[in-house]
Amino acid sequence: MLEKTLTALITVLAGIGAALILYWVLNKISELLPEKYEERLKPWFYILPAYAAIAIFVIYPAVQTFIYSFKTKVGFPAETWTGIDNYTTLLSSDAFRQTLLNTFLWILFVPVTVVVLGLLVALLADRLATRGENAVKTLIFMPMAISMVGAATVWGLVYDYRPPGRPQVGLLNGIVDALGGDPIAWLQENTLHFNSFLLMVMLLWMNVGFAMVLLSAAVKGVPTETLEAARIDGAGERQVYLRVVLPQIKGSIITVFITVLIGVMKVFDIVFVMTNGNFNTNIVGNEFYLQFFNNNNQGAAAAIAVMLMLAVIPIMIYQVRTFRAEEAGR
Amino acid sequence: MLQRRTRRKMAATAVAGALALTAAACGGDDGGSGDDGGPVTIWMSLDQSVVDGIDKQMQIAAEEAGIEVNIERVDGIDKLIKTKIQAGDTPDIALLPQPGVVASVVELGAAFPLDDVLDTDALESSMVAGALDAGMVDDQLYGLLTSMNVKSLIFYPKKAFEEAGYPQPESLDELTELADQIKSDGGTPWCLTMESGDATGWVATDWMEDLVMRYGGADAYNDWVSHDLPFTDPVVKEAAAYFENVALTEGNVLGGQQAITATPFTEAARPMFDEGEPGCWLLKQGSFFVGPDFLPEDVFANLDEELGVMGFPPAEAGGENPVLGGGDLAVLMSESEDAKTAMNLLATADIGKDAAPVSSFISPFKDFDASLYPSETTRTIANVAYDSTAFLFDGSDSMPAEVGAGSFWKEMTAWLNGDTDIDTALQNIDDSWPSS
Repeated sequence: MLEKTLTALITVLAGIGAALILYWVLNKISELLPEKYEERLKPWFYILPAYAAIAIFVIYPAVQTFIYSFKTKVGFPAETWTGIDNYTTLLSSDAFRQTLLNTFLWILFVPVTVVVLGLLVALLADRLATRGENAVKTLIFMPMAISMVGAATVWGLVYDYRPPGRPQVGLLNGIVDALGGDPIAWLQENTLHFNSFLLMVMLLWMNVGFAMVLLSAAVKGVPTETLEAARIDGAGERQVYLRVVLPQIKGSIITVFITVLIGVMKVFDIVFVMTNGNFNTNIVGNEFYLQFFNNNNQGAAAAIAVMLMLAVIPIMIYQVRTFRAEEAGR
Repeated sequence: MLQRRTRRKMAATAVAGALALTAAACGGDDGGSGDDGGPVTIWMSLDQSVVDGIDKQMQIAAEEAGIEVNIERVDGIDKLIKTKIQAGDTPDIALLPQPGVVASVVELGAAFPLDDVLDTDALESSMVAGALDAGMVDDQLYGLLTSMNVKSLIFYPKKAFEEAGYPQPESLDELTELADQIKSDGGTPWCLTMESGDATGWVATDWMEDLVMRYGGADAYNDWVSHDLPFTDPVVKEAAAYFENVALTEGNVLGGQQAITATPFTEAARPMFDEGEPGCWLLKQGSFFVGPDFLPEDVFANLDEELGVMGFPPAEAGGENPVLGGGDLAVLMSESEDAKTAMNLLATADIGKDAAPVSSFISPFKDFDASLYPSETTRTIANVAYDSTAFLFDGSDSMPAEVGAGSFWKEMTAWLNGDTDIDTALQNIDDSWPSS
């Protein structure tokens, strides 16, 4: 323990010291330059370490992943180039196409629902007295504080199944049983991807609180003068919300939507813990994990990561653009 | 060691500057390879009670041998060991739960062969048949079986079973007859449930393995595990047909087909001890099922009176009788003399003397003092293994992970869930076998 603490302490001191020395040296170097260049180049010297960190920890791995996606047996002595085999094998497999379809359903369903529900709660809670509002918000925000795996345990009990005639432990089947029905194998029932939607409900449960907090703050940030003006002009409550409040919080809505969207594209733990992709519930994040850690097929995993990266990039660009446009508008 | 590590880290932090804190969080570690003359470190992920028992005997033996041994319990060693190898921070000996993990550690160049370290001829005769074969990689011994569990077992509610006067089946056909008899007496023969979260499917693959080794024998089984016999081979199909008959015949399984994939595997045994008639009568599961997590409290308290156990019968009465099992394989990851000495200490029956009475530990040594086992049930289970013609490791563990813990699980699950038929499932598994 002492050794560990000591190591940690030395590392921290050495790290900070090294950083200080680095900046001191960079500063000295810039001072050696003619004055004209010194002023111009100094900011670059200061920002260089940050860029270096990004290059090492973001750009380098991304490039590496891209390269790996054209290889097989990555990390083993038998590592070889395979061209686009990883991509074609994946895309031509029925299972992976189902995985893509499932992921698409998640993308289609979850972000929109999160925003709508979050907004609804934010608007409704806004009309409650302070104490009521706080209570409601706390309750809805609480799942956010639970880890995904913890949530899976909770929802495992909700969806639990026992054979007919046995005591039902699960919440839903408890209700079904009490109503005199036969227990339903919730997570095994994949007609119309029913079970995938049940898994999505878990993510909604966890994310609506997040959306609510951000959107609620935005709603409260709307200047009351604009609302009053609209009401004086004879707008009904619905019009006030749709024409006055919503346009003013559009930026927050987009931010929440995109954050959730990117979260959904990466979602993994829920599916991994609940079904591991069985019963046709597989999604890209889980498939990546299986390929990388289970199948030791880093090439295919990298190919999945690249496809995911390509899919995320347009969204990121859109996000940055809206953000910039908003900043400019301020 | 500390110095070298710190220096390396300092160099890294000099580059990363502000990221020093992150690096510090991963700083300082225990273990470390024993080449530096420190104590021999042994990592294992067995139950704490087993680890404590082995540690107790190991300390006694180590003191006699004049070496220092440090046994540590770690979580999930099968995954941990690979990251530790990449980090260059391995124990001297690791107890790995599967031959497949042993093979990948060998492939990563982190293990040393045991052929010259251990007296293999003596072990061949003192251990259960086939124990050494389980630790072989490329015809060299890398893993020494140190503890084992047995999977070819059928549990039954002892009192009700004896009251009904049911016979113990001697062959697979007799097992079918027994199930039919239970059905015609108005009961449900099989307790078969397999939901296991992210690992759903292993219950079904255990069934398949047991049946393949019965219909094909030990050699065909090993060929199948190494894919010299494809999943579409008639032997595999014959095994699948038997399993299909067990699992999908109307009225054979408690709750019907839907209940198989949806009910947690942990719940399988409880209906056997329902008030009045057993809800189901026969459960094929591994020895680990004899535990407080899987059995009703009062059954576990009166194990020998309540719970019956017998070996999963061979294909033909009196014929080849292989047994499916698992266990932990000790792998040597250091070349130091002390580590080799410690390896030899693990290769004795005595090492389990303190673990057996307090846990589910079963020794792979046939000359282990059976009176140390805590119950008649455990003794019966151990004898199933000792009497077998070959102790064969869980094949799905030895298959490449994309099959053994991937498509084999998933396709069996899809088949039993009614999402695909058995021929497609077997074909898909075969197709998923990695080409190289």
